[in-house]
Amino acid sequence: MEYAVEARDLVKRFGEIRALDRLSFQVREREIYGLIGPNGAGKTTTIRIAATLILPTSGGLKVFGQDAVKEAAEVRKLITYLPEEAGAYKNLSGYEYLQFMGEFRAENSLELERMVQDAAEISGLGDRLRDKVKTYSKGMKRRLLVARALMTKPRLAILDEPTSGLDVIHSFHVRGVIKRFVEQHGVTVLLSSHNMLEVEYLCDRVALINKGRMVAEGSPEELKNKLDVANLEEGFAKVVGFA
Amino acid sequence: MKELKELLRDPKILIGMIIMPLVMFPLLGMVIGTSIESTGQSLQTITLGIADFDQGEWSKNLTRYLSSVPNIVIMKITATNLNEAVAQLQTNPKATDLIVIPEGFSANISSRKQATIETYSVYSGKGLTEGATSSIISQLLAQYNRDLAPNLFKTEAGSIVKGQPRKIDPRALLQVMSSQVLVLPVTVSILLMFAMQIAATSVASEKEEKTLETLLSLPIDRFTILLGKMTGSIVVAAVSAVAYMVGFNYYMTSLTTGLGSQVTVDLEALGLAPSSLSYMLLGASLFAAILSALALAVILSAFTEDVRSAQSYMSYLYIIIMFPMLLVMFSDINTLPLALKIVAYAIPYTYPMLAAKAAFTGEYLQAILGILYVAAFTVILLYLAARLFATEKILTAKLRIRGFGQRRKGPAAEA
Repeated sequence: MEYAVEARDLVKRFGEIRALDRLSFQVREREIYGLIGPNGAGKTTTIRIAATLILPTSGGLKVFGQDAVKEAAEVRKLITYLPEEAGAYKNLSGYEYLQFMGEFRAENSLELERMVQDAAEISGLGDRLRDKVKTYSKGMKRRLLVARALMTKPRLAILDEPTSGLDVIHSFHVRGVIKRFVEQHGVTVLLSSHNMLEVEYLCDRVALINKGRMVAEGSPEELKNKLDVANLEEGFAKVVGFA
Repeated sequence: MKELKELLRDPKILIGMIIMPLVMFPLLGMVIGTSIESTGQSLQTITLGIADFDQGEWSKNLTRYLSSVPNIVIMKITATNLNEAVAQLQTNPKATDLIVIPEGFSANISSRKQATIETYSVYSGKGLTEGATSSIISQLLAQYNRDLAPNLFKTEAGSIVKGQPRKIDPRALLQVMSSQVLVLPVTVSILLMFAMQIAATSVASEKEEKTLETLLSLPIDRFTILLGKMTGSIVVAAVSAVAYMVGFNYYMTSLTTGLGSQVTVDLEALGLAPSSLSYMLLGASLFAAILSALALAVILSAFTEDVRSAQSYMSYLYIIIMFPMLLVMFSDINTLPLALKIVAYAIPYTYPMLAAKAAFTGEYLQAILGILYVAAFTVILLYLAARLFATEKILTAKLRIRGFGQRRKGPAAEA
């Protein structure tokens, strides 16, 4: 069976620092797979490798069978990527931004129009989309960016901390959108988070990562049972050795 | 107190506002000083051609007087008419001025009629210091005139332009030409600096606004992104250069009319108006230089985290633009000391300014060679910029600084 994402023995060094240390995992098609772990665990590094932005020192990663290093151009056609700290061009309006980003993927103007309409719905920003991005609050900006990442219905959406820095209401909205969209359109999602609540709600399966290594993997339920804990947070602390 | 600490501990402010001026101004001073000095040296001796068509008592007297002046080397012209005299004068590259004593000069003076002397100054487009020799000569003649008896002869001043004697006062010509000599290098420099600033800002703001990562994950060729950035910068820079030129031109005209100069100089008749070939050369040279400046700006800004540091990095690059600009404005590069000459010719941004000058002086060969050199330089830089965009370095250069603190890499190490 072909995996949506297949990481094999990923190693990434930044000088002396080993950000990833032989990390392997597989993401099945149409599932939401979460990478969870503390700051510096290697979540973002993994995600950046999958997004073809950085190269692994050794090991490999394939997206639907295409190599993220050797066939990066092909992989970029299959994915969309939402960085943890992402911005939008602040002098464009929300609509203009969505249009600009859609043009890279839409085959014709009809498709582009549909994409932008979808994005408007996903973001739930309504008329505010006519305003310039620089007038948006952090939450609105993030909703715009999530909509941008999903509107093209990519085969794989790579989301780094999708609710990063958002308050309860915005987070709630974003999570709901991701979950619904994946169910409706059969998109596969690779996301990272350190919000255990979010992970339990969203993910079909999760990988617990610490110091660049996988320490546990399974569905949130499986992990809780296996580790004999009430929630993932506790489980995480147990595995990493704090509890 | 906290403000002071914050500001002083910011390396960008420290380097940009304190160390840079300390380095920059002495450097500029040195450049201007040396170029004026080297021109000054060529001024210490004036090689003056005298074409004596009179061969009378007073013309010989005048020749003796001029040869007695220290630092004037007399070159006797044996020609029989003006055009031949000019041709003969120009066989000596050091000769800057010609005095023509017409037939009947001595007879006129002896009979107390007003006599005429023609002077011609060679126009060579050397820069702002040009024209000093002709004023020395005219002062000497005025002195001689006074010693003799008031107003016994009058002087008609002319210029030698591209080997042709012209009835145009060298001072009027210089006034017109020097505004050109000023406008062009300044415009070129401003254009280059604007373009660099814009390209650097464009890349750095993608980083600062965190849009670069998203952009790089899109299914578009990285080289296309690079070209897009550069094209955008060229367009904006060109618009601003035009606006600048218009403004500067207005300033110059208001300045010269303010001086009350009523002399109109027909540059076209003098062969000094830029030809279409020279415009093309200037355009080509400028285009190549802008591309290389943009590639350089993109490379450098890839190593910055935000717009502010990108801009302060750019200000270091301004030195290599200001340096040739000042040299071209204030001196003739060929008269500079060897070391300075090598530096000037090594900097690619010297060439569009020389090409701008060539538009008026017709030294095309240098302009063409310059274009080739700049083009080669540009290709290398573009290649490096493309490589940088194609790899993860455009992101990791920032990541290292941000994520892991202490490691700062210079652009040279990575490029």
